[in-house]
Amino acid sequence: MSYVELNDIRVSYDNKTDILKDLNLSIEKGELVSLLGPSGCGKTTTLRVIAGLIEPNDGEFIVDGKNLTKVPVYKREFGMVFQSYALFPHLTIKENIAFGLKLRKEKKSSIDKKVKDILAITGLGELGDRYPKQLSGGQRQRVALARALVIEPKLLLLDEPLSNLDAKLRVAMRIEIKRIQSQLGITSVFVTHDQEECFSISDKVAVMNKGIIEQFDTPEEIYKNPKSEFVARFIGFENFFDLTPIEKGKYKTVDGTTFLSTRQWEPGKHIGTIRPDDIDIVSNTESTATNTVSGTIKVRTFLGKSYQYEIETSIGALLVNEVDDVIYQVGDTVTLMIPAHKLIIV
Amino acid sequence: MRKNAGLQIFAWIVFAFLIVPLIIIVVTSFGTNSTIQFPIKGFTFDWYGKVFNNESFMNSFYLSLEIAFIATVLALVVGIPAAYSLARHKVFGRNWIKSFFLSPTIVPGLVVGYAVYQFIVIQFQFPIFQGLLLGHFLICIPYVIRVVGSTIEQLDFSIEEVSWTLGCTKLQTFIKVVLPNITSGIFASFMLAFINSFNNIPVSQFLSGPGVTMLPTNLMNYIEYNYDPSVSALSVVLMLGTIVLMFIIEKTLGLTSIS
Amino acid sequence: MTQQRRLPYIILAPGMILLIVFLVLPLVSIIFPTFFDGGFTLTHYISFFMDEYNMSIFWRTIRISLIATLFCVFLGVPTAYYISQSPKKWRGLLMSITLFPLLTNSVVRSFAWITILGQSGIINTTLKNIGLISKPLTLLYTEFSITVGSVYLFLPLMVITLVGILENIDSEIMEAAETLGANRFIAFMKVILPLSVPGIIVGSILVFTGSLTAYTTPQLLGGNRNIMLATFLYQNATALGNWKGASVIALIMIAATVIVMKLFDWVAKRMDKRGEASA
Repeated sequence: MSYVELNDIRVSYDNKTDILKDLNLSIEKGELVSLLGPSGCGKTTTLRVIAGLIEPNDGEFIVDGKNLTKVPVYKREFGMVFQSYALFPHLTIKENIAFGLKLRKEKKSSIDKKVKDILAITGLGELGDRYPKQLSGGQRQRVALARALVIEPKLLLLDEPLSNLDAKLRVAMRIEIKRIQSQLGITSVFVTHDQEECFSISDKVAVMNKGIIEQFDTPEEIYKNPKSEFVARFIGFENFFDLTPIEKGKYKTVDGTTFLSTRQWEPGKHIGTIRPDDIDIVSNTESTATNTVSGTIKVRTFLGKSYQYEIETSIGALLVNEVDDVIYQVGDTVTLMIPAHKLIIV
Repeated sequence: MRKNAGLQIFAWIVFAFLIVPLIIIVVTSFGTNSTIQFPIKGFTFDWYGKVFNNESFMNSFYLSLEIAFIATVLALVVGIPAAYSLARHKVFGRNWIKSFFLSPTIVPGLVVGYAVYQFIVIQFQFPIFQGLLLGHFLICIPYVIRVVGSTIEQLDFSIEEVSWTLGCTKLQTFIKVVLPNITSGIFASFMLAFINSFNNIPVSQFLSGPGVTMLPTNLMNYIEYNYDPSVSALSVVLMLGTIVLMFIIEKTLGLTSIS
Repeated sequence: MTQQRRLPYIILAPGMILLIVFLVLPLVSIIFPTFFDGGFTLTHYISFFMDEYNMSIFWRTIRISLIATLFCVFLGVPTAYYISQSPKKWRGLLMSITLFPLLTNSVVRSFAWITILGQSGIINTTLKNIGLISKPLTLLYTEFSITVGSVYLFLPLMVITLVGILENIDSEIMEAAETLGANRFIAFMKVILPLSVPGIIVGSILVFTGSLTAYTTPQLLGGNRNIMLATFLYQNATALGNWKGASVIALIMIAATVIVMKLFDWVAKRMDKRGEASA
């Protein structure tokens, strides 16, 4: 049995449409698991069920062998970092952090020490006597984290904690969160819609869509082997085309060309997908060889390190990123190579 | 999903406290007895007939409408330009002037009425009607300055600058660009000023004379000597007026805009 | 000055002039004589405050205003919080229930309490019918009835002021307190209540100064024995023909209003230590 278990969790506000549909998720001790998905996919709802802010209609929630489904939020002893940080504006940074400890009726000396330690760990050192309004976004973020960590939570919950920061700070803070999380070994659940952020920080990722988990794997596995069209689209596979299976690893396109794929395949799946980076422009003539398709360049965009071409082909429009020195012109006819080891069937 | 039973019970007791007394008035207005009773015996609309046939009530009702309307319009005519000036220009002593325009709210209504009565009516021999009008103008002006002022402050100043670059004079810009964009503020302040003027008692208390008595004052004087259901009936009529106004406000601005 | 620079003042002028001529001058004209009896004097004010009867009215006014304010805070804060937390579709209805009395004429609102508290009012009739009392209780024309009337008059103002403040409190703050181990009640006392202090102060200013200067409620619910400052002013000016006395009370009412406002503002500034300044 895993440290944290969500078993057949169902949430519905009106009992007609389900926000979460019989969701299952297992998290091991010390892991940082991300819930990734577009807005409305149910990731925040899942986190709020874990926190105890929403009571699920069905299902059970277990931590460390104890069923917490009906335990109210304030008795769960989880630390939560909110998207808005939710710092108490009427309290100083120290008072904000000590809030949870005071409720636990700890001794003043013990509280002082813990607050001091966590201020040091989160790099807030001298800011303890300021008020939230006097801090920058990044500093507030650290306070929110410190306040959640200081109660030594069984579980750390982070609800899109980086979405209110600018791009540079976001990268710095996610490294910081990862550092503190692994230093303290706290089991964590992180909600985000940003796949780069998610991949860089997580031990495991649950990609969510419409109230279900589409894929739960390590970041590498999800990046390389998306299991569904939704997951593929969400993590940057931009080319999709229909294929007809002939035998294992062999397909035909709509115009009859043979495509081979060395990647794993499950029965019933028949959509080929590949990242723009993985397609090569092999010649400027037409060809019908295996794993190739020809087309006309419609749009050329300069991306910096490469050019992106939008190419109209017989299997549909394809996006191709090319770093080659050869620069093609709009209107050119080209042949594209879709490598068998990069072609994924979803 | 997350409810708190204790809080809910508390709140609904407070809502009952707010609304039940008014419901009682509605019920008592239908009683047949010549003094107010609750629960009532019998059922009649007679008291409503008495109210509408009472010449004194009807006259003071028309007077109240007239005074409230003219005072509000006057407050808008002088208040909108003033609010615009305070919001847009670096006027010397801006905050002081703004406080000055809001000062009628600091002076107790009865004192306003008393001062206007002493100075305007007694000393300068103005007719009571004019005194009433001025007193009620003083009730109205702070609402205009505050509500219209905050609407103008929220209006993007660059749309005026665009209008100037397109060749509109300042006056044309004010009429063609500013006014159409602050209609909601003007309407809200009109409603607030009108309701408060119509309902006001303290300011009118001194300013009444033969044939010139505002409806609330008239009703108050009536209550001191009478305790019959016609008071309830008139109250119900006034409440219906409130409901109509609330409905208009809700449909046009939303009730939150005046709170 | 150029036309451009003069314009702002020109469009301010009509309003300023009307206010000066019809508010400032009248006020000066009634207040000024109270300081002169041949020469400058404070006699009228000193004798007002030395007089036991006058002072009993003064303190009654303060007392009733204070109690009414406390009750409005006590009843208003939870109610406003309840409104601010209810779903959008309900909030409109709850706000209407609160606004309706506020927009209803105050004579009507006081009259409602006459029918409830009077000798043959609802409370006395009910108590008599169930045999708890034989003689009607004296509820009307007491300080009690004025206080109830004042609370009834001003509670909506308090609630509406607070709803505005409470709606702006991030709902995640309450949840954050709960995840840290506070149950609803403690989270309310430790987070929501301190955060609503600015609203409580604004609301209290409205209720306190409102009750302090109210005329309708003490007139209708107070009777002859429970006079407050406003009714005392009216009595002096009309029944007693003591114009100067009325003017003295007028200035005391203005001064009391201003002092109360400044006092509350001062408290608000002292308590608002959320450090906007030294960022």
